[in-house]
Amino acid sequence: MSAPLLRLDTVSRAYGARRVVDEVSLDLHPGARHALIGPNGAGKSTLLHLIAGTLRPTSGRIHYAGHDIHRWPAHRRARAGIARTWQHPTLARPLTVVQNVLLAVPGQHMAVLRERPRASAAALDALAQVGLAEHAQWPTSQLSYGDQRRLEVAVALAAQPRLLLLDEPSAGLATTEVARLVELIRALPTDIAVLLVDHNLDVVSAVADTVTVLHHGRHLTTGTPSDVRAHPDVRRVYLAEADHTDHVPTTPGAANGPSAAVPPVLRVRNLRAGHHGAPVLTGVALDVQAGRVSAVVGRNGAGKTTLINTIAGLHPALSGTEIVLNDRLVTGLSARRRCRAGIGLVPQGRRLFAGLTVAEHLALPRPHPGRPRTVTARQILDLFPALAERRHHRPHQLSGGEQQMLALARALLAGPQVLLLDEPSEGLAPAIVGQLAAIITGLAATGSAVLLAEQNLALALDIAHDVAVLDRGTLALHAPAADLRADPARLHDVLAVPTGST
Amino acid sequence: MTTTLTPPSTATTEHRPVGRAVRLVRVASGIVVAVAVALPWMVNAYVVSLAATALVMAVLAMSAQLLVGLAGQPPLGQAAYLLVGAYTAATLATLTNLGPIHLLAATTAGAIAAAVTGLLAVRVRATTFLMVTFGVGELVHAAASQWVPGGSEGTHTPPVVALPGLPPMVRPGWVYLYVLACTLVIGAAVIVLTRTRFALLLRGIAAHEPRVQAAGHHTSRLLLAAYTLAGAIAGAAGALLVAVTRYVSPADAAMGISAIALAAALIGSGSMIGACAAAILLVAARDWAGGLLSGHGSTLLGLSFLALAYLPRHRLAGLFTRRDREGT
Repeated sequence: MSAPLLRLDTVSRAYGARRVVDEVSLDLHPGARHALIGPNGAGKSTLLHLIAGTLRPTSGRIHYAGHDIHRWPAHRRARAGIARTWQHPTLARPLTVVQNVLLAVPGQHMAVLRERPRASAAALDALAQVGLAEHAQWPTSQLSYGDQRRLEVAVALAAQPRLLLLDEPSAGLATTEVARLVELIRALPTDIAVLLVDHNLDVVSAVADTVTVLHHGRHLTTGTPSDVRAHPDVRRVYLAEADHTDHVPTTPGAANGPSAAVPPVLRVRNLRAGHHGAPVLTGVALDVQAGRVSAVVGRNGAGKTTLINTIAGLHPALSGTEIVLNDRLVTGLSARRRCRAGIGLVPQGRRLFAGLTVAEHLALPRPHPGRPRTVTARQILDLFPALAERRHHRPHQLSGGEQQMLALARALLAGPQVLLLDEPSEGLAPAIVGQLAAIITGLAATGSAVLLAEQNLALALDIAHDVAVLDRGTLALHAPAADLRADPARLHDVLAVPTGST
Repeated sequence: MTTTLTPPSTATTEHRPVGRAVRLVRVASGIVVAVAVALPWMVNAYVVSLAATALVMAVLAMSAQLLVGLAGQPPLGQAAYLLVGAYTAATLATLTNLGPIHLLAATTAGAIAAAVTGLLAVRVRATTFLMVTFGVGELVHAAASQWVPGGSEGTHTPPVVALPGLPPMVRPGWVYLYVLACTLVIGAAVIVLTRTRFALLLRGIAAHEPRVQAAGHHTSRLLLAAYTLAGAIAGAAGALLVAVTRYVSPADAAMGISAIALAAALIGSGSMIGACAAAILLVAARDWAGGLLSGHGSTLLGLSFLALAYLPRHRLAGLFTRRDREGT
């Protein structure tokens, strides 16, 4: 076999005394399709940062195409052919879609006024590869989340890399989009080596020929996808815990049928909202009752985040919208007053405060004095034991799972009556998703009303009492989760078939 | 494709009014230039010399805008390079009184000074960048009071000549027209600069620097190049200042001058034309309207900062920025 394109030689990275990546060795040959999996906090993203040069290893060597690159700065590695995507979209928002791609097209002169035809063609080519060619002139901020993720891939491809690092490319994508992503990665030229981190094991098995499992920064095993799935240690740390949460006992009996006797805590009628004049939501109606989890599912761009943000007061509602919390109309209130009234939000992408420690995050929220304080910081730490050990860490030192727990804890401390969760499972390992499911189910059992916007259908079906499908700006289907679990085809019909105009 | 938030049809209708706005802006800028050229025949000599000062400040504001508007790094020491340019022009005035030579020499001197001091500035970002550029500016100010010919008293220079063979420009009207012509040339060069790939990369740095690094660019080197160019423009402003006032002193590098340049750039929210307009407004508020109100110049300056900050300036400046961006 030829010499490896990339060789990691006992690479470590420590934050203080904590080793996030611990003596990992790895070989990647040209054309490899290599996946990196592991629970949140296993050091997968850190390892990608070490290869891309955003971080330098504290010890060990990184060899790439015959050079020892472990001291090279990021831009030099990029020029040598290492391209990467980020875990959360980090695009240049003020620029247009094609300008974002043009930033990465190599071999251009600094002083050119108009991009050379070759450069523009390369950029459009990269956009066409991910199916965004039609949106080339759009401002990036107007793209939906899923399209932003695809743009990330296009930017990386435009650099014509020899080694492509993908950090959770499928996070936050809907089923159909994940299928397209798999096609896209499979269609990549065979001379590009791909190293991807992902939690979606179906994507990993479909794309990768080799899988490496990390756990607490250590190399656990490397093998073919099926070998790795069968590996007993992997099942223990990564899958096994998830398996048992696949059958979380949802609230029995009462799950079926709307309990008409109980008035809903949150009542939404005729909710309308838009972006820049284009309607996104037209007449959404839903009820959320105490002690129940209501899920809203739908493709990316269907308007789930807009719905959640409109209810929280972060996105302006159009006239006619009626949002009622405990018989009190809150449509005209600011986000701050709605929060006081009892609407709690866990936003997509967590939105933690970069400079604050975990303890400071938990010291911030206070419920309005008018309402009884339902939880204390100590109770919260009992609920999230992982956070207790990380009290003095800042968000960037936390794993994705810990960040999500912190965002949830922060919302809970304000003592909300309705909890809005926007894609809580995004970018989380199956085992952590299982823990999250248990926590959400537990919250509902203690009387909270939960509205969940979720891409992860399995999770939504598992923990929700009723599921609504958002399609073309309105709720296309609204049914008890138990019915949909019994007849999953119904849901797939609504979700999988593209219904909009082309 | 159904995965986008807004259907494409609305996007195209949304872009249409921009075409009208572009035409409007073109007509408006034509009128502005015509009025600017006719100014010496319309107002008295005092206002004309104030207008020339305002143009110098507009050039300095473009220098600040290159850093804060494009690259997202706020400079608070641009007056230092103006001073370097001004003293270069004043020194050169003992050899020749040809204005364009002063201008070129001052531009080069400003660029060299910025390239050297920029090595310090581009190691840091954001607020720290502000602190470092402020520190550099103050050091240049202090060094000038200590060592330059004339010390803190400053030096007087003879009037400059616009082109070989022409008489020295003594009357404010001619000086003003010379400064206006130079400003338009510098402005055109800066607008061309904002449409290059270099400017695109600077905007990428402002949005998310690691991404530009991951695209294979040495971002600190790009910032140093931008800093050098900004220093060159500030140096050119220095030569124009000498042409207007025929006098230069270390006080021209006072922190207040840098602050007005930065404020004008911020008020212009990313647009070069916006920065120029804001600089002219601020000088008018400080010197002209302030003079009418018997010396309450700084009160008026402070009030106009507040007023401009609360006005819908993003929408106003959007007219210009969108035009700038359409060209890229």
